[in-house]
Amino acid sequence: MSAVLDHKPLLTHEIGSLDKPAWRVKAYAGQPLGDREFEEAGSWGQRLQVPEYERLVDLLHHAPFDKEKKAEIQRWSSLYALRLEESAGLDVVYDGEQQRTEMYDWAVSHTNGFERRGSVRAFDNKYYSKAAVVGPISLRAPFHNAEFSYLVSVADAELKVPVTGAYTIADWSFDERYDRDTDLREPVRDRRRKREAARRDFVLEVARNLIRPNLMALIGLGARWIQVDEPGASTEPDELDLFVDSFNASVEGLNAMFSTHLCFSDYNLFFPAIERMTQCRQFAVGFANYDSRELGTSDAERPGYQVISKFRDLPAKPALGLGVLDIHSDFIESPELVRDRVLYAVKVFGDPGRIHVTPDCGLRTRSWKVAYEKLRNMTAGVQLARRELGL
Amino acid sequence: MLHWQDIFRPLVEGLGPKPPEELVRWFDTNTFFRAPEVSTIDSPKASAATPSASVPSPRVVTLPSPYTFSRAAHNAADRNRLMQQVAERLLRPAMRTAAAAGARVIHLEEPWLTYYGIDDADWKPFAAAVASMTSGLAAIVILHCYFGDASPHLKRLMDLQVTGIGVDLVETDVAALGKDWADKSLLIGCLNGRSSVVEPLDATVELTRYIADTVQPLDLYLSSNCELQYLPTGVAEQKVRRLGEVARKAKDLVSV
Repeated sequence: MSAVLDHKPLLTHEIGSLDKPAWRVKAYAGQPLGDREFEEAGSWGQRLQVPEYERLVDLLHHAPFDKEKKAEIQRWSSLYALRLEESAGLDVVYDGEQQRTEMYDWAVSHTNGFERRGSVRAFDNKYYSKAAVVGPISLRAPFHNAEFSYLVSVADAELKVPVTGAYTIADWSFDERYDRDTDLREPVRDRRRKREAARRDFVLEVARNLIRPNLMALIGLGARWIQVDEPGASTEPDELDLFVDSFNASVEGLNAMFSTHLCFSDYNLFFPAIERMTQCRQFAVGFANYDSRELGTSDAERPGYQVISKFRDLPAKPALGLGVLDIHSDFIESPELVRDRVLYAVKVFGDPGRIHVTPDCGLRTRSWKVAYEKLRNMTAGVQLARRELGL
Repeated sequence: MLHWQDIFRPLVEGLGPKPPEELVRWFDTNTFFRAPEVSTIDSPKASAATPSASVPSPRVVTLPSPYTFSRAAHNAADRNRLMQQVAERLLRPAMRTAAAAGARVIHLEEPWLTYYGIDDADWKPFAAAVASMTSGLAAIVILHCYFGDASPHLKRLMDLQVTGIGVDLVETDVAALGKDWADKSLLIGCLNGRSSVVEPLDATVELTRYIADTVQPLDLYLSSNCELQYLPTGVAEQKVRRLGEVARKAKDLVSV
């Protein structure tokens, strides 16, 4: 049975990714650094009161960087991101996935059985790297251990480890192993049956052979809260049972608090399937993208949050990670707008202890300036809500 | 279309009341579009559909079908009214501009109908919207229904004022295509635009030959079953080359 951590009402945390500073990206790619990058490292170091940040600025002046130095720069990037979140006032933090290439690519590039195929569009002109499963899936080596161990050594706030989930990894991959059938002369019904069986094999093999051993390794290092990221979960409405099975297969019997992150979907689709995710103690869900920017706590003023009563009614009574920041826009939500979104959710749930407050998703598509302002306003808005609720 | 952010954006940018913002999943893919926000269509950006001079002839221009457009739009109060407006004021000028610029085929994307379905009452407005776009147009117009089974809709699709109907053979049975295609062209989506496995040449040629012989459409067009934006460029290029190989080989066989 998964652990339940004792958290205060209206707990705040980030979801996962933050943008990577240009000095980190360029240094890692072996590109020349200039005054702009040095200034960025210095000014954010000062602003976030990163201890001894001058050492990073000095290090950046000494290109080229060998493997060890690149790893050191990545750790600095982790530290900066951690301090950004702590400085913004978040209760639970991580490092904005600074040491990972990207949530999908990082996972499959540390896994046997996948080959990269190239980039495909996610939205606008944002692309992600996509791989194909071509052979048996197995974990090459636990791929979050190094970052987690480092963060434990430097974090002041509680840590929550984001881990990309099995369903999303399978959904974002091409399948060149389980489902190679291309004979379109066969009846669709037969092809569909084979496709569904192949898909189940693929997703559950990722859960058992990739995600679960990775989670076990993190727990062995002391991870207490692990967030299984599943932005792909609702992609196929008729596969929600498979998504639930994959979550359960990943976490069953492991001793940590597990949560999941869902975003950019018609969330009604998840019900009743997710009722079976009894080990999921929090659902972190993006809502702000669908909401109005008007102030107020009426149903009409909060159209993006109409579905939250379904999360309230889940039999296992998990917390709801309430997405209150639109991560696809530079619009800075005011503390008052955050407050009203939170108050609306508390009104619907009738229990602030089950409401946690988060951005809709990772903030990696926003600049640090925008992300920082959004997060600061988020925590300020939660303070306003706490005051209003007498917490 | 490589510079298009999504199928709607270049057409609606500048129309107002505000730029499209809400990000919505494009059917069951991992690609997202910004839902068009359209209240009035006074100054359509028809030039958005002009084929680039660098594109070799014969040229195809792809545009959204008015039904899909009207259903994907953000908060439209009367979607059938929007469908007619989009057809008349946005797509019709865009199609004419494209035809005048040398587009021989206008390819209308219609995934909504086959993925989500269509109410009986919406067929008549849909047919009217299509007719208002295509009448008098000097180009071949294919309405490509994908991401779902087209067979339940074929009878009514055949009545639409378009040159041809496109079907997604990943989702539609070949046997369900019937044989009533003497007056209609058929586009078959015979390569899976969502799979990185490149279809074998001979089997795809055989499929094409079989459909040409049994369905006997007015004209037969070959395509992927959906857009190729879900594939990395390298894989998409392989599929396009495969499509060309299939077409060349199938032509030889069919003409024999």
